[in-house]
Amino acid sequence: MPVGSVLFAFVIGALICVVTGANPIAAYAGLVCGGLGIGCTQGENPALQISNTIVFFIPLVTTGVAVALPFRAGLFNIGAEGQLLAGSVACCAIGIKFADLPAPILLPMVLVGGMAAGAIWAGIAGVLKATVGAHEVVTTIMLNYVAQWLVRFLIVGGPLELAPGTSKSHPIGAGAQLPTLLPADNSVIIFGLPASVFRVHSGLFIALVAAAVFAFLLWRTAFGYEIRAVGQSQKAARYAGVSVRRTIVLTMLIAGAFSGLAGAVQIAGVDHNLTDKFFNDTTGFDAIAVALLGLGSAVGIVLAALLFGALHTGGAIMQSDAGISSNLVLVLQALILFSIAANFVGAIRRGLPFGRRASPELPTELPPAAGLMTEAAVPPPGKT
Amino acid sequence: MSGVGDIVHLLFTANLWQATLAAAVLLLLPALGGVISERSGVVNIAMEGMMLTGAFFAVVADLAWHNPWLATLVAIVAGGLMATIHAVVSIQFRADQIVSGIAINIFAAGLTVFLVNRIYGLQDVGHVGPNELLPYVDIPALDQIPFFGQVVFDQNIVVYIALILLVATHIVLFRTRLGLRIRAVGEHPQAADTAGLNVYVIRYSAVITSGLLSGLSGAFLAIGISNTFVPNMTDGRGYIALAAMIFGKWTPFGAFIACLIFGLGQAIYDNNSIIHVSPYLLSMLPYLLTLIVLAGLVGRATPPAADGLPYVPGSE
Repeated sequence: MPVGSVLFAFVIGALICVVTGANPIAAYAGLVCGGLGIGCTQGENPALQISNTIVFFIPLVTTGVAVALPFRAGLFNIGAEGQLLAGSVACCAIGIKFADLPAPILLPMVLVGGMAAGAIWAGIAGVLKATVGAHEVVTTIMLNYVAQWLVRFLIVGGPLELAPGTSKSHPIGAGAQLPTLLPADNSVIIFGLPASVFRVHSGLFIALVAAAVFAFLLWRTAFGYEIRAVGQSQKAARYAGVSVRRTIVLTMLIAGAFSGLAGAVQIAGVDHNLTDKFFNDTTGFDAIAVALLGLGSAVGIVLAALLFGALHTGGAIMQSDAGISSNLVLVLQALILFSIAANFVGAIRRGLPFGRRASPELPTELPPAAGLMTEAAVPPPGKT
Repeated sequence: MSGVGDIVHLLFTANLWQATLAAAVLLLLPALGGVISERSGVVNIAMEGMMLTGAFFAVVADLAWHNPWLATLVAIVAGGLMATIHAVVSIQFRADQIVSGIAINIFAAGLTVFLVNRIYGLQDVGHVGPNELLPYVDIPALDQIPFFGQVVFDQNIVVYIALILLVATHIVLFRTRLGLRIRAVGEHPQAADTAGLNVYVIRYSAVITSGLLSGLSGAFLAIGISNTFVPNMTDGRGYIALAAMIFGKWTPFGAFIACLIFGLGQAIYDNNSIIHVSPYLLSMLPYLLTLIVLAGLVGRATPPAADGLPYVPGSE
């Protein structure tokens, strides 16, 4: 089904290209070259393209996990973006304030600080959900924008700004930086380029560990069982003695910690400071597509993050080589979301008309994204 | 730091309140759309994307035909078409309405810039001429009322239309049979179906209406307040409208009051030379206020009972 959804999106995307007078073959060739380094005609360096894809892949995995975990508890975390920004801000603030500390102390500090900030950001939504039943979709949307404006405040004329008018923060100390995988040395030539242009960094391992921790937590721990129980039915979980409130709050805290980690790793591994680039960051929203396309499993999330990482990198090459706006990638992403959510592929397979005969239950392998909607209508826990 | 006197002085200028009303109307239109859609039981977080689509097509049409009325019509239809996608996906296919809403917003953000690139190449979109904008209209005589006249009767044409739509939405939702049907479908679709109402038709109409209103708001933004299209020019206003809808507890006038509060924040932001608070901190206010409302500190905000639930005929 996920593969079908992606194919569906690419077919519709090609149609949109044709209708608007763009060449879909050139567009997709650009995406493949840019994202995977395959079939490049304009002298792009394949190794560099793959390195860039991995740089995008890293935060997508970690935030993808941050969306997928609450899904299992029947919670829809739209706030990965805000939590990521909170993590970036905390990482930056700590990395600037304690810039002189050595790496063995400072690096854990900025990463844990980022996780804590993300956890607090998501925890607000979790507590509001558990206590007064405020829908986490709405609260996390609001928290996203609060975080976005907080970043603007901090680095445009605010306390973290490097110098007036620069719209970026001071850089974090050297001890707060994650090492790149290749030596940051201009004299070393790797794959025909100076090694320092390859930005792929050791955050890759952090992201993969995060995915593994997610799977372990969900399937091998008592708490993971509780998360899944709450996601299946809050009522049944309550009868089984699970504290639904506690599970909701803890799930959001952990999810926020993952997103915050993604933000901290992005600062520590790639950017080294907060810039205006973060105003338009969409990683936390892409993560929703990653989690849905990955069917909420760790392996699926890794594969989906690779796809979106490659699309992200490929978009730039498509724009420069084929002259087609990289925003086609957003269109494809939206089409993938539509397709997964509406199960167009299943509807087509069953024959039209349009899934009227669709079973009201979700397929069991799906994360209970729609299931949460039924829970949303139930009064908040404890009020019944 | 400026004195309290400056702030008080600012609050007593008609200019500030005039700007407040205009900013509020920009939010009111999609918020009304959200109220209608959610009252019928379809969660709508896609006003942002519908508004953006409206803004884009308003500018494209205005540049092509040099007629703001035609351009506004195109914008309204474009918003309606986006809403139709949301309706088909979430009503017909019973998709998760939040995922569909997010997808609409991403789709609109991507498609508009993609089309800018297809239509205008790498150049700017271009600017709409001053005579091709939605006009500001002084209501004769009434605009002579001291203070109040400038605030209410010296406004863009869309402001008057929006205020009429506000009253109309309230009357339709709470004083007519149609409104009763919309609310019935949003509270208990099974009962409504049993009573002979066509749940699908009512929900489709409600969702598409939200797109029409959001499209109008997009036109007001692009060829009323501004005169061009820039990528992502709605800048979260559709989400503030969503906040206003919740803040106003899913009622038209409640949403309007929320829009006025948020609009005042925007107007103060624009007059920031007087008040020395970071505009970025002020921009957080709508979201923070909504969180406070959601936290139940100002009474409970309860959505319609069947909000977000796809309707499956024959289900209990």
